Amino acid sequence: MSAPAARVHGDAVSHRYGSRVALQPLSFDFGGPGVVAVTGENGSGKSTLLRILAGLMRPTRGATSLEVGGVAVPPRERRHHVGLSTPELSFYEEFTAEENLRFAAETRGLPNVQPAVRDALEKTGLSSRAGDRVAEFSSGMKQRLRLGFAVLHRPAVLMLDEPGAHLDEEGKAVVERLVLAHSATGLVIVATNEPREIEVASHRIQLSGRGLDHPS
Amino acid sequence: MPATGSNSAAAVWTILRKECRSEWRTRYGLNAALLFAVASLTAVSFAAGRLSDRTDLLAALFWIVLLFATLASMSHAFVREVEGRTMLLMRLVASPTEIATGKLCFNLLFLLVVEAVTVPLFLVLTGAPPVRWGTFLAVLGLGTISLAASSTLVGAVIAQTRGRGALFAGVSLPLLLPVLAAAVAGTRDMWASNPVASSVRLLAAYAVALLSASLLLYDHLWED
Amino acid sequence: MVLRVLLFLWIAVTMVIALLRAPLVPVLEETTRVLYFHIPAAWLTVVALGWSMINSVIYLVRRDLRADDHAAAAAELGLLFCIGATVSGALWAKAMWGAYWNWDPRETSIFFVLLIYTAYLALRGSIEGEEKRARLSAIYSVAAFVAVPFLIFVVPRMYATLHPDPIINDRGKVDMDPMIRWCFLSMLVGFTGLYVWLQSLRVRVSRLERAAHAA
Repeated sequence: MSAPAARVHGDAVSHRYGSRVALQPLSFDFGGPGVVAVTGENGSGKSTLLRILAGLMRPTRGATSLEVGGVAVPPRERRHHVGLSTPELSFYEEFTAEENLRFAAETRGLPNVQPAVRDALEKTGLSSRAGDRVAEFSSGMKQRLRLGFAVLHRPAVLMLDEPGAHLDEEGKAVVERLVLAHSATGLVIVATNEPREIEVASHRIQLSGRGLDHPS
Repeated sequence: MPATGSNSAAAVWTILRKECRSEWRTRYGLNAALLFAVASLTAVSFAAGRLSDRTDLLAALFWIVLLFATLASMSHAFVREVEGRTMLLMRLVASPTEIATGKLCFNLLFLLVVEAVTVPLFLVLTGAPPVRWGTFLAVLGLGTISLAASSTLVGAVIAQTRGRGALFAGVSLPLLLPVLAAAVAGTRDMWASNPVASSVRLLAAYAVALLSASLLLYDHLWED
Repeated sequence: MVLRVLLFLWIAVTMVIALLRAPLVPVLEETTRVLYFHIPAAWLTVVALGWSMINSVIYLVRRDLRADDHAAAAAELGLLFCIGATVSGALWAKAMWGAYWNWDPRETSIFFVLLIYTAYLALRGSIEGEEKRARLSAIYSVAAFVAVPFLIFVVPRMYATLHPDPIINDRGKVDMDPMIRWCFLSMLVGFTGLYVWLQSLRVRVSRLERAAHAA
């Protein structure tokens, strides 16, 4: 099953928290299929950009647009078309991996919950741990669960913020497989500073600026 | 394939089930709420003694105990998400209105469970006169709906601030005072065998007003 | 500058005439003078509340921070006038009826308004981030707007039936002597002018603060 064509576009989008600049003004235009790498120092705004693109945040200035199949998607609807994985994504510790994914699938209203959940668990190598509570997971397994969550609903756009974090070689191979599979027909946006993840990208956004970690 | 135009009712139902299962697995929220409700009820009835003939005071004390129970326990549903850092997960799978409505249903259910324990206990400990069940339950039910509606909206707001329990109580109070007034009047009139129609109408009107405003406001709750 | 001086003169002159030259209302006697301060203060409290809530709605619809400036400024000023009205009302009640507080319907109403203001401002104080603060306090403001008709009109009447009020509240039912009426209206106008001026000052301060931050 292929994902419909997606385009992301940024028009002088920038964001600040109070007096601190989180994202310097940025303009871009990319279309799928393919991989876009977003790189930059810590604090340069990679995560902020992804959150804005995913429709979770309004930028203080400028605007972004996401088009799926030629139709512009307003920020509030983007969660249907975006599969987001970020380090901040946490799951319900008292539930098992399978229960978490099932909750996500049912709430999203996916037509075939069980197959989708099973599929996501297989792709991320979590099938054997599906019945274990997330509280018992290592950080590497939690990261795999994040990836499973992102691909669960077969979105048009995959947005991965530091997908390789906490992962061993096997885990990083999972990431590569997911990215390759998705980028064949859909758009993947990866925020990272890992060379391995950058080199598969066909486009690149380099974020500059002092960002949050440096005093202004 | 991404699911566009998701079925909102199904989403709310799923969230409600998740809340119930979460509460069942951890249970500290309900236990604490029940403990608090019984403790405050005990304190009140112990201090006041048997009040069989003072139904006006009984009505007031009854609703004060329920008010305290609400203020102590209702911020729990959202605080749990914030502390578990699962709000991002929620926001990615459901719209703000679906999330808040699911929590509203849970809060209502939660309050009903707390009341199922507290109300009989209150009637026994204070030696209250016999209750006209139809009227009593109508006032109790409508009052509870407003308590839950107000607490859900305020809880969702407070969970995003630096303030916690005390702020939740202080901010909720203006919204809860109309409920308190009408419910106390209705309960008192029930015991005095006076007509309660006006109190019931008021409670119903307020519940409808709060719920309508909530449905309009839920959409704005989370944007960053 | 000229307007400020004019406003000052207006209020000062009105106050002097009202306190020294205007006759006393029969029932109220010496306490008549309170009505020149107490009622305008109460009036402005309500005006400020309304203005604050309207701007909250405007903010939610348009996300214009200028609306939020107005909502916050109106709430601060409204609180000040509310405290003034409540305290002057309590003093008047003591002089007229012997007790500072009676849960009289009007006293109850003003107290509820005080609660709303303090809750709103406490909420604002606990939120960092301009847009977040504006959005969340606007949500609360709209919810409070639902409660206001119940709090101001319905609930106070309910308590009136619970505790039968032997006190006859004849404020407003007195046929005002023309001089009293003129002084009163003049004071009302003066106070309103005072409020508008303070509001614009406060909003300008907010804007300057924001501009300073952005620089």
